[in-house]
Amino acid sequence: MTSTAIRGVDVSSEASTPSVPLAARTRGLRKVYRGTVAVDQVDLDVPEGAVLGMLGPNGSGKTTTIRMLLGLVRPTAGEVELLGHRMPDGAGHALPDVGALVEGPGFHPFLSGRDNLFRMAAAEPRLASAGISGAVEAALERVGLSGAAHRRYKGYSLGMKQRLGLASALLVPRRMVVLDEPTNGLDPAGTREIRKIIGELHADGVTVLVSSHLLAEVEATCTHVAVLHEGSVVAQGELAELLESGSPALLVSTPDGSEAVEALREQRITSKLTPEGVRVDLAATSPPDVLAILVRADVRLYEATRARTGLEDLFARLTEHEPSTMDGSEGAS
Amino acid sequence: MTQVLAPQPAPETRTGHDTVPMTRLIRAELRWIFRRPRTLIVLAMLAVIPVVIGVGLTLVDTNAGSGSGGGPDDGGGALLATAVNNGFVLPIAALVMTLTLLLPLAAAMAGADAIAGETAHGTLRGWLLTPVSRGRLLAVKSFGVATVALVTVLSMAVTGVITGLIINGTDSLFTISGTTLSLWDALGRILIAVAWVTLQLWAVGAVALAISACTEHPMLVVVSVLAGNIVFQILGYLDAVSWLHPFLLNQNWTSALTEVLQDPMASVQLGEGALRAACYIAIALSLAYARLTTRDG
Repeated sequence: MTSTAIRGVDVSSEASTPSVPLAARTRGLRKVYRGTVAVDQVDLDVPEGAVLGMLGPNGSGKTTTIRMLLGLVRPTAGEVELLGHRMPDGAGHALPDVGALVEGPGFHPFLSGRDNLFRMAAAEPRLASAGISGAVEAALERVGLSGAAHRRYKGYSLGMKQRLGLASALLVPRRMVVLDEPTNGLDPAGTREIRKIIGELHADGVTVLVSSHLLAEVEATCTHVAVLHEGSVVAQGELAELLESGSPALLVSTPDGSEAVEALREQRITSKLTPEGVRVDLAATSPPDVLAILVRADVRLYEATRARTGLEDLFARLTEHEPSTMDGSEGAS
Repeated sequence: MTQVLAPQPAPETRTGHDTVPMTRLIRAELRWIFRRPRTLIVLAMLAVIPVVIGVGLTLVDTNAGSGSGGGPDDGGGALLATAVNNGFVLPIAALVMTLTLLLPLAAAMAGADAIAGETAHGTLRGWLLTPVSRGRLLAVKSFGVATVALVTVLSMAVTGVITGLIINGTDSLFTISGTTLSLWDALGRILIAVAWVTLQLWAVGAVALAISACTEHPMLVVVSVLAGNIVFQILGYLDAVSWLHPFLLNQNWTSALTEVLQDPMASVQLGEGALRAACYIAIALSLAYARLTTRDG
């Protein structure tokens, strides 16, 4: 009777054990910019080999957290560990194995895409001088920019700029790749390619941290999710687990929608009319009871399925309805 | 799916190092500086100035003398008069005249682009993430600015010497004391002037780098350096603050360079100026380092 198509994402079971090694972790991370708390009490765990999607509305502290993770910004309080090195002091040891695209691509407008990459590659410690040229061409090829590599960066479209930024993150094989809003400005094809590249990295065992405000993107590519809201992590864990943790619901397909809602309300069961049918909140009841009530109320039933909590619902629940769960957040209103 | 996988270069192209050789960074930096259209334009314009002065002086050959110079301490005008029919004074006069404004401008621009300009483009972050430590970053940037200063001054000297020799011939190398120098003596002295002017510009560039490390607006750096330059010049004119004069970088710039033109060559002000510039470089680079290592990237 009730379908169990809740698990939309296949998760390997060993990843859920708490002893999995972490590629990056933060504890009690806090950053105050001139009296404004940008990030507060962030305890982020990035398991090794995971693709962790960092979700959050604009201004929720995603980029600040990433910048602290990469040692670009010194935290006001708390600690950061990246690939086993304390940041920012261990940056020299951790960062060579980390590829990053942070706050949009930064390149010189008067140089061609290729020359910009050469400049980045020159500073790449893991690349021997003899390997620079090959690595640059391979990275350009990988992001689909070979054809435009000779053109000046000035003339690049937003999507091409984004691709070049990705290419510089992928110049050397990495242990971890951090992508801050990688699909910004990309067309659907570009977005698909980014997803494909993330998938390849994941298959190679590379840990990927992707920040995004695009839920579908995260849902499609990530194994883990961390939701940031007003500078704190309000939820994190495996994507599948998080989705399950959402309040369960039953989707009832019926031509008598309003009668169904009415009948359920008399029994103090919350439900609402949606285009797909009547969505019944199962927090305080069970599917058989709901169906029994509806049948007794002479509601005609076609089908009843367990509604899958989408990431969107979860996200909305975490960032809109509930006020932030953190304490001591004087600046983050 | 697999054909784009992994740019696997041959193993010997990979290293296990955490840092890259300094020379590689410097080479990348110089390539970047000297491919920047702005650098090339400024270089070319400054290199043309001695030619313009030389040609101009030849055209108005007859009237040498007063009228051409400005303020009370302005040796530039007097020097220009001396540069007529003089292949030795011409390049140094060109340096003296540009040192008051244009050369510091070039150094300030290089310093501004080095850090503030890169921050503004978001490109500094790229190097910080690879990672290049902030100390090495400052070293590379300082080297770049120093190179720009040296190349600028050197190219001006070269065009100045060539212009002077073409217009006036090799027997026109007179000092302002009235003696005649051999070609090699003259070239040696011009090299001294080049080195000294370059050192002064390094001081300006170091100050520019220090300001550059504090802002992400390159224009602000250029404006600050130019404003400082002008304020220092004004302070230099004011006897009421004469106690301050030994601390002004551009104090006696003109008269120090004039020492090169004397026979025998004096070196009091040259030495003093060099020492002052060295102090400016040490202090400014320390400030730049302190700021760069603590600032958020």
